[in-house]
Amino acid sequence: METESATAQASRQDELYQQAASSYGPALERLVRGYEADRDRCRDLSQEIHLALWQSLARFDGRCSLRTWAYRVAHNVAASHVIRDHRRNSRTLVGLETVEASAAGEDREYHFDQQQALEKLLRLIQQLKPLDRQVILSYLEDMDAVSIAEITGISPGNVATKIHRIKNILARRFREGENRGE
Amino acid sequence: MANESGNDMTSIWKNQPAAPPAISLDHLRRKSQKLQKRVLWRNVREYVAAGVVVVAFAYYIWLFPFLLLRVGCILVIAGTLFVVYNLHRRGSARIMPAEFASRSCIEFHREELLRQRDLLRSVWTWYLLPFVPGMAVFLLGLYLWTMQLPNASAHQGRIAALYALITAGCALVFIGVGKLNSWAARKIQREIDALNAIEKES
Repeated sequence: METESATAQASRQDELYQQAASSYGPALERLVRGYEADRDRCRDLSQEIHLALWQSLARFDGRCSLRTWAYRVAHNVAASHVIRDHRRNSRTLVGLETVEASAAGEDREYHFDQQQALEKLLRLIQQLKPLDRQVILSYLEDMDAVSIAEITGISPGNVATKIHRIKNILARRFREGENRGE
Repeated sequence: MANESGNDMTSIWKNQPAAPPAISLDHLRRKSQKLQKRVLWRNVREYVAAGVVVVAFAYYIWLFPFLLLRVGCILVIAGTLFVVYNLHRRGSARIMPAEFASRSCIEFHREELLRQRDLLRSVWTWYLLPFVPGMAVFLLGLYLWTMQLPNASAHQGRIAALYALITAGCALVFIGVGKLNSWAARKIQREIDALNAIEKES
C-alpha cells in the first residue's frame, strides 16, 4: 500500500515537472542568463535549477500556482548561486536606485542593434542585487506587479515603484537605439 | 516614452534564443543520487579526519607518561568529538528542495543570510573554543614534561621562549579565524538590515 502511494506520488512529481519544464523552460533559461554570464556555468546553474525544481515538486501542495512555484525555486537557487559567487569574487552588486542615478548622467548616444541591446541589458541585470534582479527579470517576462510580489515577497506597491525605476533606466539607456528603429 | 522602451526591451528579452536544456527525468534522478552520494562522502571525510585526530591523541595518551599531557589529550579528543557532532548537526540542517519554493524570495534570502550569519558568529563556540582547553593543557603538559628531561635546565630560557612562541602562534591563528568570521558576519548583517528596510517600506 505504502509502495503504491509512493509510486503515485513520484509519478505526480514527474508529471508536474514535465508540465513546468515545457511551460516555463525557455523563461527559466532566460532567467539563468540574468544570473550568470559564463556559458559553462550557465549550463550548470540551469541543471541545478531543474534538479531543485524536480525535487521540490515532491512537496507541491497547490497553495500557489505551478508558475509561482517554479519561479520561486529558480530565483532562490539562482540567488544562492549569485551570493556564493559574490562572496568568492568580492564583486560589488548594486541596487536599482544606484543604476538609475548613474543612468541619469550617461551619454545617451547609443547605436545598437537588438543583439547589442540584449547584451547591454544582460550586463545591466547581472550587476544588480538579487532582489532587484528578481523584479527586473520578472518584469521582462511580462509579469504584473501582483505576480512579482507573490514570487519575491515584497509588496505590490514596492514592486510598482521598482518597475517605474526599471522603465526609467531602460528608457534612458536604450532610447537612442530605439529611436533609430534598430 | 518609458513605457515604449520597456515594452521594446521586454520583446527583445523574450525573443532571445533560449532553448531549455534537454534534461530527462532519468538524468535528474541520477543527479539527485549523485548529490546524495557527495553529501555522504563529505560526511565520511569529516569523520575520517576526526578519527585520525582521535587515534593520534589516543596514541599520545598511551605514549606520554605525564598526567597533564594525558589530560590534554583527553580534552583534545573531547573537543574534536564535540566539533564533529556540531558539523553533523549543522550539515543536516541544509536547505531541503521544497524550501526553495515554500517561501518568497525575500524570506528565503533573509533566512539564508541569517543562517550564514549565525553560523559565522557562532564559530567561536562550536568550532574554535572546544579545541582551546585541550590545546592549552596539552601545550602546558608538553612544556612541563620537556623541562623534566635531562639537560633541560641548561636550556630553560630557550625552551620557554619556544613554547611561548608556539602558544602565541596558536592563539593568533584562533583569534585571526574568529575575527575573520566576525567580520564576515557583520557584512552579512548589513545585507540583512538592507532587506529589512525593503520589507519595512512594503
